[in-house]
Amino acid sequence: MNPDGAPVSPPIEAHRLPDEAYVRMTLVLRLGLGLAIAVLLGGIVAYVLAHPGQSSENVLAHNPILNYLSVPGLGTGLAAGSIGAVLTLGLIVLVATPIVRVVSGLYYFRKVGERAMTAITLTVLVLLMLGLLVIGPFIR
Amino acid sequence: MDLVLFVVLLVLVAIAAGLVGSLTGLGGGVVVIPLLIIFFGASVPIAIGAGFVTILATSSATGAAYVRDRLSDIRIGMFLEIATVPGALIGATVTVFLTHANLESALLVALGVVLFAIIPGSLARRHIELPAPQPPDARSKYLGLTGGYHDEALGQDVTYQGARTTPALGVMFGAGLVSGMFGIGGGVFKVLALERFLNLPMKVSTATSNFMIGVTAAAGAGVMLAAGYVNPILAAPVAIGTASGAFLGSRLLPGLRNRTVRILFLPVIAALAIEMVLRGFGLP
Repeated sequence: MNPDGAPVSPPIEAHRLPDEAYVRMTLVLRLGLGLAIAVLLGGIVAYVLAHPGQSSENVLAHNPILNYLSVPGLGTGLAAGSIGAVLTLGLIVLVATPIVRVVSGLYYFRKVGERAMTAITLTVLVLLMLGLLVIGPFIR
Repeated sequence: MDLVLFVVLLVLVAIAAGLVGSLTGLGGGVVVIPLLIIFFGASVPIAIGAGFVTILATSSATGAAYVRDRLSDIRIGMFLEIATVPGALIGATVTVFLTHANLESALLVALGVVLFAIIPGSLARRHIELPAPQPPDARSKYLGLTGGYHDEALGQDVTYQGARTTPALGVMFGAGLVSGMFGIGGGVFKVLALERFLNLPMKVSTATSNFMIGVTAAAGAGVMLAAGYVNPILAAPVAIGTASGAFLGSRLLPGLRNRTVRILFLPVIAALAIEMVLRGFGLP
């Protein structure tokens, strides 16, 4: 505390991750979003062209990706050039982008030797994978 | 509605939602989910699934700029995600179970109530750009929850350190729960915890909230996607439009004072909240 009772300005630089971490995380976000948007854009255009005259009510009633929500289903669909599989891939990339950011955070916290933040980030990562790979498929 | 017109309108609505979402740090889902239900005929869980896509696109589009400009506090964001992610997993699971139990009307009413809850949260401290300093707690000191940035609108360097981490974690769990249930990001609750308990400046709160929203949404979206409630024909145009609007919004944020953004946004939230509650009770 300084003489007038206010807290002293904190030592920011001591707790800041290396600049490389910010650059990499920015890159992860931009690449992930760009890739997801490109795949989804291609998928939606292909879907609209392949279904001329279809109504929005029909589309809303029948989710075209239900057959591709497993790894084997997605693999088979992509190999067959299925539009639904392409759209599923775009959605997975979009969901995975912030998860990769967490992985990036884990790498840098471990690199600078911060055990507490490494443990926290690893726990977050495990929980994210739990939702995608265990909880979602289980309650479907 | 014809599919081509449907897709074009979705993109236009999503651009507006992305713009508003990034300017307020709320993520865009707050606007887009009610609009999908009201004007596009989406069921409640499918609209929520699209809401998650909206949040993911917004957070990634604007998060990149915030991280690059050091406005997002990665350390504080990661620390608080330990509470938001379990909340989101539980919330999304509850939504799927309510849908399976044919209780979508209850989800609608609850969504309206949550939208109403956002309003006082937004009004509470709208005249404060920078908080008065508070002493950090032991956990904040141990984890080094501190940072600083240059505020363009105020024309000064700003430093901060997290204060009360325990209540912040509690609010973050609730924010994750709300986000997971409704696909709305829970940004206002995150900003509330960051401002009121951690005592962070408004712009850092907004940017860090945006940073966290993506990870929280990934938890909820993972559950909803794997459970079959993300329809890409609805979600893909929404994602594309939202990312475009959010990118534009992130360019505007550094030069805008927060009170302007909030005051402009509140009447929209109120109208959508009323509509959700009325629909939930089956009223016109």
